[in-house]
Amino acid sequence: MNKIPVIIDDKSFEVDPHKTILEVCRELDIEILTMCHLKGLTDIGACRLCLVEVEGINKLLSACTTKVAANMVIKTQTERIKKYQRITTELFFADRNHVCAVCVSNGKCELQNLGYKVELDRIRYPHLFPQCEVDTSHPWYVMDHNRCIMCTRCVRVCNEVEGAHNWDVMNRGHQVRIISDFNTPWGESSTCTSCGKCLHACPTGAIWPKAIVQGQLEKNPGMVNELVERRKMKL
Amino acid sequence: MSKKKLATVWLGGCSGCHMSLLDIDERILDVAKLADIVKSPVVDGKEFPEVDIALVEGSVTSDEHHREILHIRKHAKTLIAFGDCAVMTNVTGMRNYFNLQEVFDTAYVNAVSNDKEGHIPDHPSLLRLNDKVVPLQDVVNVDFVIPGCPPDADTIFYVLFEFLNDRIPNLSKAKKLKYG
Repeated sequence: MNKIPVIIDDKSFEVDPHKTILEVCRELDIEILTMCHLKGLTDIGACRLCLVEVEGINKLLSACTTKVAANMVIKTQTERIKKYQRITTELFFADRNHVCAVCVSNGKCELQNLGYKVELDRIRYPHLFPQCEVDTSHPWYVMDHNRCIMCTRCVRVCNEVEGAHNWDVMNRGHQVRIISDFNTPWGESSTCTSCGKCLHACPTGAIWPKAIVQGQLEKNPGMVNELVERRKMKL
Repeated sequence: MSKKKLATVWLGGCSGCHMSLLDIDERILDVAKLADIVKSPVVDGKEFPEVDIALVEGSVTSDEHHREILHIRKHAKTLIAFGDCAVMTNVTGMRNYFNLQEVFDTAYVNAVSNDKEGHIPDHPSLLRLNDKVVPLQDVVNVDFVIPGCPPDADTIFYVLFEFLNDRIPNLSKAKKLKYG
């Protein structure tokens, strides 16, 4: 396939068409922050962290859902982008109850790492302190809505890779929640296969196995793409 | 250069940040060369004096903390929010998801360790808990923050040493940013 020319951060590249800006940047080792993106799953452009500037377009575009086009001029590191990334990260922290000190994923959390990357030292917005449920009804796993950032990686991995579609989303705005089946306890789910893929897909400590204590959670989000790739192999 | 005055304060927190401060070990001598610690939970003295730097641990949980932090703001040139509780309420703020009466009942009346006679303490000399726990920045202007639960001793020393030498520390550049 013919390659097309693009300019990213003032450097010229020849890249494959039909790829997203994010895919192209990842291949070229250009850092783009993401949260809702997980290789192997459909991209939905929900978290708004991968925003890039494209010359000729006034608004910022999400790199994960925008395809490259010939002669596109893309900027990934401008002050405008950094400003929005910081705001977005602060809102993640202010929206639910992220208490790192008591969290299973403390030290290995994608949200913490994101905070360090955008140089977040304090949250300028008032915390909402919503009363969130902790669903411990499943025999092995816990769903803690306090730590959920609504990336919906669990929803997509359950639907697209496991094919069970136990997880879904209800409500809008601050009331938005991940639900099991039709908003029933996870332990009573008739669709959940207890495969644990949602646990590995989750970027924070929202879904975790009961046999784990503070700071001990080990996740392997890369396994999702590994599975997807292996299924493509022809026997 | 005259010696600076340093204070450390313990509001609504567990004192873990102060423990971490003590973990700077012998480097306290480097701090002592540049500053006198004039007020701290480990220093005798009633009134909060005029200081150059105040390290304030914990969040604002009660009327007393509220008065205290306003007083500290007036008398400190540089106010540093010290630890996750001071910066974003952390564990102290976990009672914010419930109403205050529920919290009191859980702690004093219905706690498993209580006998049936449990009652909520109500002496006039006790502080009054506020409805919601808030970080320092919601009450006063905070000049610098050191997140972490607790912040590492290295981080604390780095920040103190920079301020005592009239430089502004940068946690991000120094790769010392940490929550939890």
